[in-house]
Amino acid sequence: MFHLTHYNIMKNNYRRTIWVLLLLVACLFFVFTQNMLAANNMERSSFSFQQEVSGKVTDTDGLPISGVLVSLKNTTSGTLTSLNGTYHLIAPEDGILVFSFLGFKTVEIPINYKTEINVHLEEVVSILDEVQINAGYYNTTRRERTGNISRVTGAEIELQPVVSPLQALQGRMAGVEINTGGVNPGTASTIRIRGVNSLREEGNYPLYIIDGVPINSTPIETNSIIGFAGMDPLNNLNVSNIESIEVLKDADATAIYGSRGANGVILITTKTGKTLGTGLEARIYTGVSTMPNRLKLMNTKDYLNVRRKAFENDGEEPDEYNAYDLVLWDQDRYTDWQDLLFGGTAKTTNANLVFSGGSENTSFRVGGSYFTQGTVYPGDYNYHKITGDMNINHRSKDNKFSINLSLNYGIDFNRLVGNVSLNDAVLILPPNAPAIFNTDGSLNWEEWGAANLDNPYKGFFNTTNTESNNLISNLGVSYQIFSGLKFKTTLGYTNYNSEELFMLPSRSYNPGDNVTNQSTHLSSNRNSWIMEPQFIYKTKLNKLHIDALIGATLQENTQFQQQFQAVGYASESLIGNIAAAKNIINAKRSEAEYRYSALFSRLGINWNRKYYINLTGRRDGSSRFGPNNRFANFGAVGAAWIFSEEPWIEKLEPFLSFGKFRGSYGTTGNDQIGDYGYLDAYEATVGPGGLYPTALANPDYSWEINKKLEVGIELGFIDDKIRLSLSRYRNRSSNQLVGYSLPYTTGFNSVQANLNATVQNSGWELEATSFNINTDDFKWQTSFNISFPKNELLSYPNIEQSSYANTYRVGHPLNISLLYEYTGLDPETGFYTVRDVNEDGSFDYQDRIIIQDQNKEFYGGINNTFSYNNISLQFLFEFVKQEGRIDLFDAGSPYNLFERDLTTPEEEDGFQTISQSYDAYEGFSYVLDTNFLKRDASFVRLKTLSVSYSLPQKLTKVVKLKEGKIFLQGQNLLTLTSYQGLDPDLPNSTSGFRNLRTISAGLQINL
Amino acid sequence: MKLNIIQRIGMIIFLAASLISCEDFVEVETPNDKLIRTQVFEDDATAKSAMVGIYNQLRLAAFSNGSRSSVTLLSGLSADNIRNINTTNFTRMEFEQNELLPNNPNNLDIWSSAYNMIYMTNSLLEGLENSEKITAELKTHMEGEARFVRAFTYFYLVNLYGDVPLVLTADYSVNELISRNTETEIYEQIIYDLNESTNLLSADYPNGERTIVNKYASTALLARVYLYLEDYEKAEELSNQVILANSTYEILDNLDEVFLANSKEAIWQISPIGSGGQVSHTNEGSLFIIDPIFSFLASIQLQDEFVNSFTDQDKRFTDWVGYHPGKDAFFAYKYKIGNSSEFPIKEYSMVLRLAEQYLIRAEARAKQGQISEAIDDIDIIRGRAGLELLADIHPTITQEELLNEILEERRKELFAEWGHRWLDLKRTGKATEILGENNAFWENTDVLYPIPSEERMKNPNLSQNNGY
Repeated sequence: MFHLTHYNIMKNNYRRTIWVLLLLVACLFFVFTQNMLAANNMERSSFSFQQEVSGKVTDTDGLPISGVLVSLKNTTSGTLTSLNGTYHLIAPEDGILVFSFLGFKTVEIPINYKTEINVHLEEVVSILDEVQINAGYYNTTRRERTGNISRVTGAEIELQPVVSPLQALQGRMAGVEINTGGVNPGTASTIRIRGVNSLREEGNYPLYIIDGVPINSTPIETNSIIGFAGMDPLNNLNVSNIESIEVLKDADATAIYGSRGANGVILITTKTGKTLGTGLEARIYTGVSTMPNRLKLMNTKDYLNVRRKAFENDGEEPDEYNAYDLVLWDQDRYTDWQDLLFGGTAKTTNANLVFSGGSENTSFRVGGSYFTQGTVYPGDYNYHKITGDMNINHRSKDNKFSINLSLNYGIDFNRLVGNVSLNDAVLILPPNAPAIFNTDGSLNWEEWGAANLDNPYKGFFNTTNTESNNLISNLGVSYQIFSGLKFKTTLGYTNYNSEELFMLPSRSYNPGDNVTNQSTHLSSNRNSWIMEPQFIYKTKLNKLHIDALIGATLQENTQFQQQFQAVGYASESLIGNIAAAKNIINAKRSEAEYRYSALFSRLGINWNRKYYINLTGRRDGSSRFGPNNRFANFGAVGAAWIFSEEPWIEKLEPFLSFGKFRGSYGTTGNDQIGDYGYLDAYEATVGPGGLYPTALANPDYSWEINKKLEVGIELGFIDDKIRLSLSRYRNRSSNQLVGYSLPYTTGFNSVQANLNATVQNSGWELEATSFNINTDDFKWQTSFNISFPKNELLSYPNIEQSSYANTYRVGHPLNISLLYEYTGLDPETGFYTVRDVNEDGSFDYQDRIIIQDQNKEFYGGINNTFSYNNISLQFLFEFVKQEGRIDLFDAGSPYNLFERDLTTPEEEDGFQTISQSYDAYEGFSYVLDTNFLKRDASFVRLKTLSVSYSLPQKLTKVVKLKEGKIFLQGQNLLTLTSYQGLDPDLPNSTSGFRNLRTISAGLQINL
Repeated sequence: MKLNIIQRIGMIIFLAASLISCEDFVEVETPNDKLIRTQVFEDDATAKSAMVGIYNQLRLAAFSNGSRSSVTLLSGLSADNIRNINTTNFTRMEFEQNELLPNNPNNLDIWSSAYNMIYMTNSLLEGLENSEKITAELKTHMEGEARFVRAFTYFYLVNLYGDVPLVLTADYSVNELISRNTETEIYEQIIYDLNESTNLLSADYPNGERTIVNKYASTALLARVYLYLEDYEKAEELSNQVILANSTYEILDNLDEVFLANSKEAIWQISPIGSGGQVSHTNEGSLFIIDPIFSFLASIQLQDEFVNSFTDQDKRFTDWVGYHPGKDAFFAYKYKIGNSSEFPIKEYSMVLRLAEQYLIRAEARAKQGQISEAIDDIDIIRGRAGLELLADIHPTITQEELLNEILEERRKELFAEWGHRWLDLKRTGKATEILGENNAFWENTDVLYPIPSEERMKNPNLSQNNGY
């Protein structure tokens, strides 16, 4: 069964790959034939009659424009539009109409026998205005925005060999901190937008919105080695189908999301079809990942010398119990445990195929992709993902009605090693420890058992197979009721399913332990729908522009999870077939329904495109709160002043080409708490057939409230060649929802309640872009971002009595370690000593007086893009200033340690006397929690480097391609740091790592 | 551009409709893995499950699970039968050395798990009281069971801590700042609950499972309560009632059968099933038995002085005491299974058994001067252990000697069970004499454990016991 399942999955994947390839061939064929037909059409003879044409010219908001010149191309005949934007003229049926008006882009439209031609004219705008920024319910531009929104385009991330798009954002945005969860494919990353707001770890997820549909951002539970971090709910997205990712940070941008906006909002927009013509885009890349570095650990000879020295110092005789490595084990054997643990090569392959096209009124985009990634760990484990996505857009001829459907579907298969601890425990095994495997591939118990040890790869044959699929769909319909007023509604539906089979064959365990063949089964489902009808109104009164929006949200999420264990399979091949299990135990099932409704509105006003005010508000109701506290109001005000429009400053042009002050203040909320917490409910006991109360119920708890304040200045210099944006923010989260501590005489030690505790996040953020060189042949652009975050627990009444007494300290950041004070080596014993502050003879939290801030002091990225003719080069450096700790220096115990200069007298190198005594162990275990270990863990990392070469047109024409490109990508190629651990991205774990070095190469063709 | 009247009305309707629907919309149904308390007690089946839940939780609650924070172990360590093998476990050593600190985490475990159990019983009793839909018979029986468990829990609280808060409601706003009640008040409540429970419960065991309390369980516990309160007449009367139920209970000749599931000696047992069905051994078994191979896991052994007090022919020594040669350590071997996942379950944790009732009756009779009747009772226990009968070897024993003999038999009979020895030494006032002898730090106030400091930090109305 075990092999069979694996085989089936593999087979399925091959089948799918072939399927994708077939599809590719079919599409190619289709496109070629279409092109040939088109070519034939072109050759038709041109003979034409005169006809009448009339229509209306409006701006993008549907407001009529009068005085537009409508002329016939290559002639002098033409007319002007009337006051309500209409025109009428006689023209040849195959002629071309040209619409031109000052301040608007000129548009050419072939008449093509039509009698009515309505036209939207777009305003001509500067660079700042060009890019539409998605602000959620409305769009804005860099120039006009009053809030703080960071943006990354799909082009910047689509080539990165990552499973979830969020992993590609590292170093690219100010104020957005991303910690990848690990190197096992599919692991959820931790995203913090402007720091940690909630005291509850699970209350800090940002809101994810994909094409207008909110996605539950809580990682998905798994029993696999991914474990606690969980699986990323965005795994099933196709990274290359992303048009842009916007991150909303301040009150102005997030308040329209009300109770869900406290931790920021991540908006993901998928790609849509082109407006004209058809195109096919195919891309494939493949790459390999390896662990980029190694710890400098001792070899067998040096290690054994240290061990012998320990016994010499202790005055003890090594025997088979206290010195198995010296007495029982081969003195010459050497295993590089790092190589064995993560010396493997993980392969990544991605194939992507997109077919898109459209006519004037309809456009579509259909795409499919395949992605696979392996692991660097031993064993044949890998991740596969297949996605399909579709987007269709249609506008009615009069442009009043439009409809948009987007579907994103992905299936992934994640096969990972089971619960074996592939971590530092293996890393620091004595280098002369016996082999892990016997020659027949089974685990070696005998030699390890002789030393009274378990094989460190216990559990190695355990495997998890996780299969999940995810559909995210959205239908948007809009209708222009009359010019200026639009009705729009979006309907979203998402469905996520995952099935996990965790197989635990008995051969993973010591035969002496009598473990039977077992399996653990976990299935999860997340289902949601959302409906958001809205009215959008735009008008202009003289120089006053008004944008208004009012809408409502109805949303329902249901979640379901079921888990059980099956034990006692007669043979390994039956594992997973629960009918063959002897017993089904520990069955658990949970389900939750979450409903949310809201009214939201926005009023954006500007005077002469110079002074801006943006008011947003939302009234929210959430089923997560007790009946008395379900509804709350949130709102924000944002304002901006484009002072470069003022006459007195215009003199500075072109040096100061743009200048804007902006500021915002408002409240958002956080309703990320468990569902049903207000219910006085009974749940099933672990033992069969029982029900019991699991917590005290508080029907009155409510939202956490987050007040955000921000001011910013945005400047453009030298014709906007250099653009700067500097923001200062301060967010305060209060009304913290925590376990309010109670004495046990109440039955429990806490009850969920809102407490008057406040967490503050404040900081500076700078984003800058410079077009250093911009000629036809050579272009060089640099963008830079840096964030200086500061996090502080401002107040927490009676924290000493709460369950957070030993976690948080008022006046300090949330992310701290409480440490003992290191007081040097004991002059007599030579062992580490720490200070017993209250001199009570024991060491506990009262003695941990040193508070180490574990936050980054600052972080950011610098990105350069060069292009010279067909070649372009892009590289992103990520940099972080922070403190970390190291721990591998326990000399004397049977664990390997950092290379150490053995010629230096012990007392001079700062480390304690080499010893295996209890006192030495105690000294070491205390020093682990002291400031002694502090090390600088700052780093600069070449996060990505990519080179691409566009095939010259001469060549592409010959092979009938629109475009061809070959590219080379590197991830984490170089890290500059003084930190001794494996990965400074994990500064508190010497032997942990999160980033692999990946080199990939690929080819893209467009037809 | 102005809105025409129809469009305006339409917009207002739209907004009003969404507002109204919002209020109702966010009402959600209770999921089927949760049951609101009031609903639990609207249906016989779910109400029954709430009682099963209490039995299940008794196997998990620290004070009653027979494991590392249980009364069995910790109060056992406080007395003179067992001791720690590993003397570096400071929290447990504090119990062994009678040097408890108010912040001892194991002490907090006992307290917190006991009050959590009391919460469960209060919640159930309140649920029953407010319910009209449960059949009268079930209501009666469940009330009896819940009152028993509450009284049982208070029995240990009052004996370990002295004055404790008397919590009789599930409302945390009431219990949050509650003060300590006197021992007398607690005992009044215990007696009231047990009397009620005796009246409400029937005499049989449904399905023959002795894990469900019946009338005799509450009678047996009440007999013990009266013995502790030195009301010997009532103690004799009640233990007598249990002993007379000889079709249900008997003293088993084979000592190896006493601790088996549903043994005829058992009055009330706790089943390992409460741990979820993955293991089928008792916690006492895995805690006390020193495995011949994995002896390094062992943490508890019997004190040598106690082991030496047995004569060689005492079956309780040969059958209930084990020996590990490698460790040179004796261990409690009443439960024979230390690690098992085999079903059906072979051993249940013993809470109340018939032998104790004989010992109660013996003591109550001896105190009342009925020496020969008391000798008869004690001889039942001695006879089963294979010892010579007092009636044969010492028929003229004095009352004081007899009481000492009873105390000694209680020690040998009930060792490693529910802290009997500790409570006996305390109630008979012999703790100082016996425990103080080998412990220079012994103080008279050590007979009560400290109120956990964490509790006192959260509730300023809780006073501390003397000596802490």
